Amino acid sequence: MTRKRILICDDEEPMRQLLRVILDGAYEFDEAADGPAALDLARRFRPDLVILDIMLPGTGGLAVLEQLRADPELAATPVVILTAWPQMEEEAAAAGANGFFMKPFEPDAMTAAVEELLEA
Amino acid sequence: MSSSWTLGRRVLAASATLALLIAIGFAILFLATSSLQDATSRERRSKDVTVATLALEKNVLDLDAGVRGFVVSGKPRLLAPWNRAGRELPTRIRVLQRLVRDDPAETRRVRGIVALVRAYQSDYAEPTIALARTFPAVVRTPLVASEGERRVDAIRKRFDALVSVETRRAAASAASARHQTRRAIAVALVGFGASTFLILLFGVYLARAVARPVREVAGGATRLAAGDLSARMTGSGPGEVGALMAAFNTMATSLEQNRAELESQYERLRRSDQLKSELVSMVAHEFRTPLTSILGFTNVMRKRTLSEEQRAQYLAIVEEQARRLSALIDDFLDVQRIEDGRLELKHELVDVGKLLREEARSFEVQTAQHSLELDLPDEALPVYGDSSRLLQVLGNLISNAIKYSPEGGEVQLVGARRDDTVYVGVRDHGVGIPVELQDRIFTKFFRGDANARGIAGTGLGLALARDIVEAHGGRMGFSSVLNRGSTFWVELPTADRAEPAQ
Repeated sequence: MTRKRILICDDEEPMRQLLRVILDGAYEFDEAADGPAALDLARRFRPDLVILDIMLPGTGGLAVLEQLRADPELAATPVVILTAWPQMEEEAAAAGANGFFMKPFEPDAMTAAVEELLEA
Repeated sequence: MSSSWTLGRRVLAASATLALLIAIGFAILFLATSSLQDATSRERRSKDVTVATLALEKNVLDLDAGVRGFVVSGKPRLLAPWNRAGRELPTRIRVLQRLVRDDPAETRRVRGIVALVRAYQSDYAEPTIALARTFPAVVRTPLVASEGERRVDAIRKRFDALVSVETRRAAASAASARHQTRRAIAVALVGFGASTFLILLFGVYLARAVARPVREVAGGATRLAAGDLSARMTGSGPGEVGALMAAFNTMATSLEQNRAELESQYERLRRSDQLKSELVSMVAHEFRTPLTSILGFTNVMRKRTLSEEQRAQYLAIVEEQARRLSALIDDFLDVQRIEDGRLELKHELVDVGKLLREEARSFEVQTAQHSLELDLPDEALPVYGDSSRLLQVLGNLISNAIKYSPEGGEVQLVGARRDDTVYVGVRDHGVGIPVELQDRIFTKFFRGDANARGIAGTGLGLALARDIVEAHGGRMGFSSVLNRGSTFWVELPTADRAEPAQ
C-alpha cells in the first residue's frame, strides 16, 4: 500500500517542520512556502490532503483554496486551514475548507482530523 | 436702471412714473373737456343771440304791421299789435343787449339796430299815427307807405347781418366742439391704452424680477431640505432678490462644505477603526505564530521518545521562536519608549560595515531563495552610536527586502562613505510600494497592501528604524517602483564628524 501524500503550505519553516514531526513518518510530504508554489505542487503531485496557512506570500491561502476547488482534479481534495489570523473560520468554510485549526493547535486533534479526512 | 438700484427703489420709481403718466393723461383729458364746454357754451350763446334777435325783429315787424293796418283802415282796433309790440320792445332790447354785452362789435351792432328802431318809432311811426288820427287821407299815400317800408327794410337788413354772424359763429363753435370731443376721446383712448400697457409691463417686470427668482429660491430650498446640497441659483436678480439668491448660494455652499467635512471626518474615523481592528488581528497573528512552534515542539518533546540530536534541534527552534516573541515585545515597548522620549542609546564607536557583514551572514542562512550581495569598501565605516539598535535597523531593512520580494532574487547591500556621512543602501527587486501609499510608509502600524499580499508583520519595523536613525542624528529614506523593487537607505554622521562620547 502506497503512503498517503500531504501538501503542507506555510511560509514559516518551523511550522512546516512541526507538522511533519507531529504527523509522524506515516505520510509523504510536499512543502510550499508561498501560494504559487502550493498550487504548482498540488497540480503536479495530486496530494491526498492539503494543510494550508492563510497568511501566505504571493497568493493568499483562501485564494489558493478557491483555485484548488475550481480545478476539477483537485476539487474533492480535503483541505485543512491552519492559521494564526483570528476570526477566519466562516470564511474558510465558505471557501470550501474541510477542517479548520487555529494556531496554536492541539497536535493530537490535528493528527485525528488528518486521519479521519484521509479515511473518508 | 442701474443694477445697483435696490428692488424697493425700482418699484417706487416705476410706480411714480406710472402715476405721473396717468396724471398727465387726466390733465389733458380735463383740458379737452373744459375746452369742449367752452365751445358748447359759445354755441348756446350764439343760438340765444339769434333767438333774441329774431324775437326783436318780430317785434319790429309787429310795430310796422300795426302802423300800416291803422293807416290803411283807420280803425284804432288795428293798432293793437303796435301797442303790444311797443310795450314788449324795451324788454326784447334789454335781453339782446345783455346777451351781447361781452362782445363790443355786437354791442355796437345792436346799438345801431336799437337806434334805427327808435328812429323808426319817433321819426316815422308816431308822427304817422298821429296824422292818421286827425288827417287819415294825408298819410294814406304811397310816399308814406314806402318811407315805412324803406325804414323797416333797413332794420331787417341789420337783423339779417346780426343773425348771419351769429349763425356762422354757432357753426364754428359746433365744429370746434366736435373737434374737441374727438380729441378728448383720442387722448383718453391713448392715455388708457398707454397706462394699461405700462401697468402690464410693470406687472411682467415684477413677475420676472421678483416672483420667478423667489419661486426658484423656494424650489432650491426644497431641494436643500430634501438633502440635495448641490442646489444652486444660476440666474441673477435685481437688488434684494439678487442678494437673496447670492445668500442662498453661500448658504448651500457652506452646508455642502460642512457635510463634506463631516463625511471625510467620518471616513477617517472609520478607517482608523478598521486599522485598529486589523492591528489587533495582526498583533494576535504575530504572537501566535512563534507560540505555535514553541507549544508544538514542547508537546512533541514531552510525549515522544526522541534522539539527543532531535531534542537539540527542537530546543533550538523553541529558543529561537521564544526570542522572536521577546523581540516582538521589545518592539512594542520600543514604540512606547520612543513615543515617551525614553529611548536610551549607547554612544560607542561602531563600524557599520562590520554590522552589515554580520547581518548579511545571519540572513543568508535563513533564506534559500534570495542571494545577498555585499558591496563594501576596505576601510571601516565608523559612526558613534548603539550597535544593537543599528543592527536592529539593518536587520529590519534586510528582512523587509526579503519579505517583499517573495519570488526570491538578489538583495544588494551597499555600504559607503560619502563626505561626512556613512551611507547604507538595501535594494531589492520585489513588489515595490504603490505611489499612493509611499508617504505613509513610516507610519506606525501602517502596512500598505502587505495584508492583501499575505506578508506578515506588525507595521512597526520601519517606523522604529527611522526613529532610531534619527536619534543617531541620521536620515532615512527610500525610492520604490511598483513591481520593480525598492531601495531603502540610511545616512549616519561619520564618527570623526559626530560628537565623541559625552
